[in-house]
Amino acid sequence: SRISMAIHKSLFASLLICLLFQISHGATKERLFSDLEKGALEVTAKPSRESVLDAGIDKLSITWKLSSTATKEAEFTTIKVKLCYAPVSQVDRPWRKTENELFKDKSCPHKIITRAYDKSPQSFEYTLERDIPTGTYFVRAYAVDAKDHEVAFGQSTDEAKSTNLFSVQAISGRHKSLDIASVCFSVFSVLALLVFFVNEKRKAKIEQSK
Amino acid sequence: MGDSTGDTGSSMHGVSTEKTGKYDLPVDLEDRATVFKLFSFAKPHMRTFHLSWISFSTCFVSTFAAAPLVPIIRENLNLTKQDVGNAGVASVSGSIFSRLVMGAVCDLLGPRYGCAFLVMLSAPTVFSMSFVSGAAGFITVRFMIGFCLATFVSCQYWMSTMFTSKIIGLVNGTAAGWGNMGGGITQLLMPVVYEIIRRCGATAFTAWRIAFFVPGWLHIIMGILVLTLGQDLPGGNRKAVEKKGKVVQDKLGKIMWCAVSNYRTWIFVLLYGYSMGVELSTDNVIAEYFFDRFHLKLHTAGIIAASFGMANFFARPAGGYASDIAAKYFGMRGRLWALWIIQTAGGLFCVWLGLANTLVTAIVAMVLFSLGAQAACGATFAIVPFVSRRALGIISGLTGAGGNFGSGLTQLIFFSTSQFTTEQGLTWMGVMIVACTLPVMLIHFPQWGSMFRPPSTDPVKGTAEYYYVSEWNEEEKQKNMHQGSVAFAINAKSEDGRNAPSTIAV
Repeated sequence: SRISMAIHKSLFASLLICLLFQISHGATKERLFSDLEKGALEVTAKPSRESVLDAGIDKLSITWKLSSTATKEAEFTTIKVKLCYAPVSQVDRPWRKTENELFKDKSCPHKIITRAYDKSPQSFEYTLERDIPTGTYFVRAYAVDAKDHEVAFGQSTDEAKSTNLFSVQAISGRHKSLDIASVCFSVFSVLALLVFFVNEKRKAKIEQSK
Repeated sequence: MGDSTGDTGSSMHGVSTEKTGKYDLPVDLEDRATVFKLFSFAKPHMRTFHLSWISFSTCFVSTFAAAPLVPIIRENLNLTKQDVGNAGVASVSGSIFSRLVMGAVCDLLGPRYGCAFLVMLSAPTVFSMSFVSGAAGFITVRFMIGFCLATFVSCQYWMSTMFTSKIIGLVNGTAAGWGNMGGGITQLLMPVVYEIIRRCGATAFTAWRIAFFVPGWLHIIMGILVLTLGQDLPGGNRKAVEKKGKVVQDKLGKIMWCAVSNYRTWIFVLLYGYSMGVELSTDNVIAEYFFDRFHLKLHTAGIIAASFGMANFFARPAGGYASDIAAKYFGMRGRLWALWIIQTAGGLFCVWLGLANTLVTAIVAMVLFSLGAQAACGATFAIVPFVSRRALGIISGLTGAGGNFGSGLTQLIFFSTSQFTTEQGLTWMGVMIVACTLPVMLIHFPQWGSMFRPPSTDPVKGTAEYYYVSEWNEEEKQKNMHQGSVAFAINAKSEDGRNAPSTIAV
């Protein structure tokens, strides 16, 4: 019962701690995507070929430059370029959902490149990584200030995310050597079992005939 | 060392032909151990215990191995939420059938071969994850791997040949609880293995496939250990064992009727679907939930998810123990109340888990939920042996199948559609647990009462003896087939509560 008292106490203590966490967490105001300056950067992303791109092989030619309509340019310190899901790739996949609160948003999980902000137009030749899933994408560049908070962005598609999209086909992840190893171990398992079984039955017959 | 077949098709592998020798543990007349020495590996009793629960645990590891890796797998195979959910349903559905078949296999080949056959023949299903390239393949492979959960039956069957019936409840409860731990171990093991393989240079979409080789190898290793170190029967003088002859064979049809016509069987099938069932469902969704909702790294989510399954180590035995304590003071009525309280509490904590907005609250709610659900599993099987003496095996099997069925159903309704987010699914699952636990109020034993009604005062029909012996008809009583039930009824007096003449636990 001393142990159960100790368990009760620690449970109660952890409950108290949670409550405190919740109170403190709710106090900060979350940064929203809708507060960011739209179209501050002009971004283009040109795929290396017209058909579906292969992850790990095909490239994107990405360029970004300051738009004439941008107003918050003074705050820009870094540009973060990311690969984002088009709406069609978010259907039935809540782990890719677009959320207004920036820290919750999961629609742009793949980092392309991060560069210090430069007034002149920038470009980058991006080879699609081998862990990019199959889907339809566009490119977005966030302008980030010195406190690492996003202040503005630009993207290679329109506001409805319907133009200039490109499709990627993921790698399969399968390998011939893996397939062979798999078959070998499976066969070993079945054979070992049969050998044991047959052997034991044979010994039993010999025993019985004695 | 004789190797011919012994009783009920079990092999005599490992059984000594000399006179009954000294065992490490005290034994009864059938050489079954009468005490339970946890940290011993002595043959045959404790060695069997450890071989048995570890093989069962290995099967849990492989059945739920995909769950913590779903965040990677869903991107590789382009899965939708429905695909992930359907794979989860598939993983628990296969064993509904395989568990029913396993009983017959144990009768024919013995539990040692039953276990070894299943474990080694399901190793190829685990290795075949290397070939999967889409949703259909993924669902199929998870379905096939799920068959190996039938080792639950071989585990419990094997324990009953090695341990006497007085302690079989504790032994089986511990073996089942520790086996279920595999569902927690895998949440920790697979992300760590995956991470190591990634650090060695493999890409994400290949690394998870290689990670599946680990549970595959565990299957092979455990299969070989069971075959070489295990034995079906405790041993003793072979002639003495053979002299006992065959137990009077009961008719399968009669036993089935006994089980199926008892309304309590079906209430327990439902109840277990919402204690074990929700445990299995949660094993499938919890790692992905923490990964997505709280933006954790894969192995962090795995650690948290692991603590859900690992609580089985003490939670399930604790549930059985709590039931025993309740029975000591309040008899069977205490057991029913204990089960209702524990399972309902688990359901309420599950509701809380779905509503929790911060990581710490979610973890606390999850831990409390796991204690409730797993203790409820232990408390369920503390009552099941009293539902029927004649059809205990089948009722246990049906209850176990109910667990898997409940899991499949819950995953299908709440976790496979875009209608509910995972947190909503958890909340509704909690509500469903509370609702589906209410029928325990309907369970009434004439000799002991129910939650709200006292026992019957009828001098004939209100006795335990009447309850258990009425499972046999006159013809069978003529053949004295009912003597076991009479003895059971006498032993069951412990369920009368404080007024019980002795505290013999069954």
